[in-house]
Amino acid sequence: MTKTLTRRAFCISTAILSFTALMTGVSQHALAADETIRLGLVSPMSGPNARYGAFSLHGAELAVKEINDAGGIDGRKIEIFSADSQGTPVEGVSATRRLIDQDKVNYIIGDVSSSVTLAMQPVAEDAGVLLLNAASSNPKITYGAGVGGYKWTFRNYPTDENRALIVAKYAAEQRGFTKFAVLSVDSDYGRSAITFTKKYLPDFKGEIVSEDYYKEGEVDFRSVLAKIRDNGAQAIIMYGLADTTPIIARQMLELGLAGKVTLIGNGEFNTEKTIKSAPKVLEGAVEAAAWLPAFDSPESKAFVEKFMAAYNEAPNNHAYVHWDTVHLLAQAIKEAGSPDQGKVRDALSKIKYKSAVGEVTFDDHNQARLPMILLQIEDGKPSIKGAYAADIQYPAN
Amino acid sequence: MFSTILEQIINGIVTGSVYAIVAVGMTMIFGVLRAINFAHGEYYMLGTFGAWFAIDYLGLSYEASIVVGVLSTIVIAYVVGKFVMQRMVGAPAESGVLATLGIALVLQNTVILVFGGGYKFFSGGYIEPVSILGFSLAEQRVIILIVCLIVFIGLELMVTYTRMGKSMRAVSQNVECCEVVGIDVPQVVLRTFILGAALAALSGVLTAPVNVSVYGGMGELITFKTLPIIIMGGLGNVRGTFFAAMILGIAESLVATYVGLQFRDTVGFATLILMLMWRPHGLFSTQARF
Repeated sequence: MTKTLTRRAFCISTAILSFTALMTGVSQHALAADETIRLGLVSPMSGPNARYGAFSLHGAELAVKEINDAGGIDGRKIEIFSADSQGTPVEGVSATRRLIDQDKVNYIIGDVSSSVTLAMQPVAEDAGVLLLNAASSNPKITYGAGVGGYKWTFRNYPTDENRALIVAKYAAEQRGFTKFAVLSVDSDYGRSAITFTKKYLPDFKGEIVSEDYYKEGEVDFRSVLAKIRDNGAQAIIMYGLADTTPIIARQMLELGLAGKVTLIGNGEFNTEKTIKSAPKVLEGAVEAAAWLPAFDSPESKAFVEKFMAAYNEAPNNHAYVHWDTVHLLAQAIKEAGSPDQGKVRDALSKIKYKSAVGEVTFDDHNQARLPMILLQIEDGKPSIKGAYAADIQYPAN
Repeated sequence: MFSTILEQIINGIVTGSVYAIVAVGMTMIFGVLRAINFAHGEYYMLGTFGAWFAIDYLGLSYEASIVVGVLSTIVIAYVVGKFVMQRMVGAPAESGVLATLGIALVLQNTVILVFGGGYKFFSGGYIEPVSILGFSLAEQRVIILIVCLIVFIGLELMVTYTRMGKSMRAVSQNVECCEVVGIDVPQVVLRTFILGAALAALSGVLTAPVNVSVYGGMGELITFKTLPIIIMGGLGNVRGTFFAAMILGIAESLVATYVGLQFRDTVGFATLILMLMWRPHGLFSTQARF
């Protein structure tokens, strides 16, 4: 019984393996034939951050479609190769290698998660492939880029340092909070945002009364929230994951924190789905983001409309930044006059690109100068409180 | 101070009851098959997805979605049981590990393929807080506690008094002797497996309203939480599993409060290592079962 089964299983798996090998062989051959600009996209397509990945891919695909429909870049079409990082550095690095070695991409956009981007930087650097980051906010990414070391890494996204300063300033000056509890995701993103918050809080006479970090996939926050209820914190500083926000909000409701403790930071507090999960808790929540669907500019409004028409869903921040970054890259390739990576890199460092939130230029650390948008939830709807920019203070080398 | 500790213990008991319902199925399957079911968390996920599908696509109520979630998991468990688990009677331990790991991957990725990898929002259930002894709990958690007690009393009675329970115990003690006296071993295995999967699904549907987010990979975490529990409880021991789950739940809750949330998951794994070093047969039995 066992023997026949093993033999049968062996035959079937051999058949499947040879079939898959055949298929990949065929498709690679077909792709190598045409003259396209090969753009890799590393994003979390599965795992706890998969929703970000889906938005990233949709945003990038929309931009590629717009560019290709308009005749491409000097007649060349862009083709996207999507690779799954699962939100983890290990998978992100192998996804990057796969894109470079197998798919032969010249440009990579990625990743959403700071931990993954930091791991991808040396890989892209070794291969001499242009890595454009569109959605990670850990300052270390550009501390190490440009004059900091990595010549092939650029970032078109504001950093946590800006965000931490803006949120802390607003919470203290406009809302009068002084006692804060920290509940952030345990990653390079969550930890560094808190490090910078701690740097600026004393300027506003704020103090941190408790500090906790949660793992991706954590679902039980009751113990921590009970502690926060008892330690007198007025606000929870949360730099977290969008999909965890509804869980925390519901458990805050359960413990009677609604209306007593406010969520501040970043974690998609402003989407309809999140607000619906516990409206009483999210009332008054303060968030700083790179972009929001409600942002008032003609380009931004046009993007929301196009995205809704294409995917029947409102875009989030990640959809926008990936859409925007593909357009930025297209303009750089156009200005370089050739898809040669070295020329594109030079064009990128000199670019003056008009994005939906303002003009983008890069500093000597290959970091885009971009504002942060601040919003507060009022009557169950996000209300924009303004766009703030701050210069980055790089540590002395 | 005292009331905080008491509240954390209550939190731990609620968390423990979720673990308990999932783990008891895994421990019973181990009892009859001598195989750790690494796909167990996936049945928890399937139950939740079934219920989410019933609410979001079929427009059913939360109560009806519990039935849909559990029934659809039973159907899948029947197929898996028939084609995989039954063949593992008497097979070496490693084939059980490989087969169940494979099933876990297939189930998880099928769900991701069909419904996408993103989080889904579970909208059903009773999330309003109620006050008990001065502590505030969601109504749903009270339901979870009550269901957990009913399930365990029911299982205790079943294992002790019914024919199925007795044959399960017999199979877990000696497969050859069962075959000699004419017990249909593959049938007992199949039934135990379906029962275990159904309990995991039930637990998933009951926790979905408080955990809110539903996604394909959610079962993994549960599988890894149940491993230390079933080892602590003594593999195959129903009553032991209950207490082990409560101990782990309470310990996790206290660690999350007094040490830090980020250390919560270490409790289970530290327990696992310590148990394997000093009492590999579990806290509640005096003899190793294998």
